Amino acid sequence: MRSSIREFATFDWRRFRQARLPLAGVGVILVFVLLAGFAPFIVSDPTQIEMRREQDGETITPPFAPNPRNLFGTDQLGRDIFARVVFGLRTSLIVGILVRGLSMVAGTMLGLISGFFPKAVDDVIMRITDIMLAFPVILLAMTVTAVLGPGLVTVCVALALVAWPDVARLVRGQVLAIREQGYVEAARCVGAGNWRILLRHVLPNCMGPIIVAFSMGIPGAIMYEAGLSFFGFGIQPPTPSLGSIISDGRGYITVAPWYPGFPGLVLTLLVLNVNLVGDGLIDVMNPRAARGPGNARSAG
Amino acid sequence: MLGYTIRRLLQFVPILIGLVTVLFALLNILPGDPARMMAGPFADPDVVKTIREEMGFDRPLWIQYLDNLWDLARGEFGRSYQSRRPIVKDILEVFPKTVQLAIAAEVTSALIGVWLGVIAATRRNGWADRLIMTIAALNLSFPLFWLALMLQIVFAVFWRLLPPSGYGTGFDSFIILPAVTLALPSLGLLARITRAALLEIMGEDYIRTARAKGLRRALVMRRHILPNALIPIVTTIGTDFVRLLGGIPIIEVIFVWPGIGKYAYDALVFRDLPALQASVIVLAVSVSLVNLVVDLLYAFINPRIRYV
Repeated sequence: MRSSIREFATFDWRRFRQARLPLAGVGVILVFVLLAGFAPFIVSDPTQIEMRREQDGETITPPFAPNPRNLFGTDQLGRDIFARVVFGLRTSLIVGILVRGLSMVAGTMLGLISGFFPKAVDDVIMRITDIMLAFPVILLAMTVTAVLGPGLVTVCVALALVAWPDVARLVRGQVLAIREQGYVEAARCVGAGNWRILLRHVLPNCMGPIIVAFSMGIPGAIMYEAGLSFFGFGIQPPTPSLGSIISDGRGYITVAPWYPGFPGLVLTLLVLNVNLVGDGLIDVMNPRAARGPGNARSAG
Repeated sequence: MLGYTIRRLLQFVPILIGLVTVLFALLNILPGDPARMMAGPFADPDVVKTIREEMGFDRPLWIQYLDNLWDLARGEFGRSYQSRRPIVKDILEVFPKTVQLAIAAEVTSALIGVWLGVIAATRRNGWADRLIMTIAALNLSFPLFWLALMLQIVFAVFWRLLPPSGYGTGFDSFIILPAVTLALPSLGLLARITRAALLEIMGEDYIRTARAKGLRRALVMRRHILPNALIPIVTTIGTDFVRLLGGIPIIEVIFVWPGIGKYAYDALVFRDLPALQASVIVLAVSVSLVNLVVDLLYAFINPRIRYV
């Protein structure tokens, strides 16, 4: 029954390469990933404090404006904002992947079970998703981090907790359609058990939407992490986070607009490019959604 | 239709009970002693003890939980630890301000978003189309809190055109910045959806017929294209309104808008648990109500949809 992978394999590389915007998105993300991954070798120490500096024969105090040494300027302690942003990017990427990974695993499992097993199980899981979806997302995430104590791991747990119900619903919808297919019945006839059918036949056939959902959910996770950190409910210093840098820079907005400005720009760029890749993935994984040149997504 | 509405409303009840349960479970592992919070940091231990007994914090958790549910069932939200006033009073004061903000934002994004979408669709692949779609994609990617900061600095600090934050009389210059910030991402989404919906309808035969019989472009747009593209647009406005409500706490805190989002945030910061619980319930119910209204609107716009 190897053929169950076939649907998943409709990932069409040729089509993906033709789409210029998603490809540009992949490029930008790759640059960001490399920057973040090799951060310690690329940028100076983000904790290096510099309280005065000679410029044109005068002694100036931080925050220093952007200059050749500090591309994005410095903060009030003379720390290089570019270095802080690069390390913050690291946090953003880790959170994006981790949150999405956690919520996809949990959501997929529960969605599979909900769509495949008897109605009583389905009802219980769906009512739980109803409850979770009724919560105001940011308030729930803040409450969870307030309870568990802020930090990288808690933020990821909190954000995964608010993100899984959407995934569970999506997967359940797929399963409901797939379980009526002939090959599921065929597998049952040859004696395959529930779990074998779920994991070997149903799951591979919902991989397309799952992959799209994975990528489409990353921007949200990144933004919510930044938002939580901005309000002091997220990543705590000394771990750098784009949200907390922007929050720190908030007080210097009139004297040093680059301080909150650049981290936000980088965050926007990251989210924008992940969105572009997600849009590209939709077109590639689901040819029916791509409707030629009139398609709104291709004109982004 | 009425039966459907009533059934949907009844579904709120188990969801709300679940909501309260999850929240209660979360809040009771929240560090911090509510009695100490109310008494203040330098209070006498005896005072703290009295408050604890008076408020019933010394009772077993499951009794507190059932008591809490029973209170809520009777519409008794309790008193805020912070303002020491009945929470219902607080909520009645802050909630209308949130409604003002949400409506201002959604109207802004709906009007401008649909308008931009129409322009983009009629000038398909022209420079206006490309510009609008680029801005739309960018708008969807701005972190809300950062966008708020940037708009504050540009319009309130550098140009001094608008007040940076606060609340005036409702629909005055104070509402512009928070409403526009909230509207921008939605606006991008709406422009994209509108454009896609219009383009799909514009390819239909009856549009060609309308043009062929000599109807002017503007009239074809108004009479044939827009009404038929309305369903996806209204659907998006509806789902988008829900999404927009999610951003409300962030915007209200940054712009110091005294609505329910800020109320909830303050309640969380001050560990004012009853106030937090009440505002979460109110926000959740509003989101569910909006969802219900949107579903009913579909049937109104598209008579082929019938709810039984």
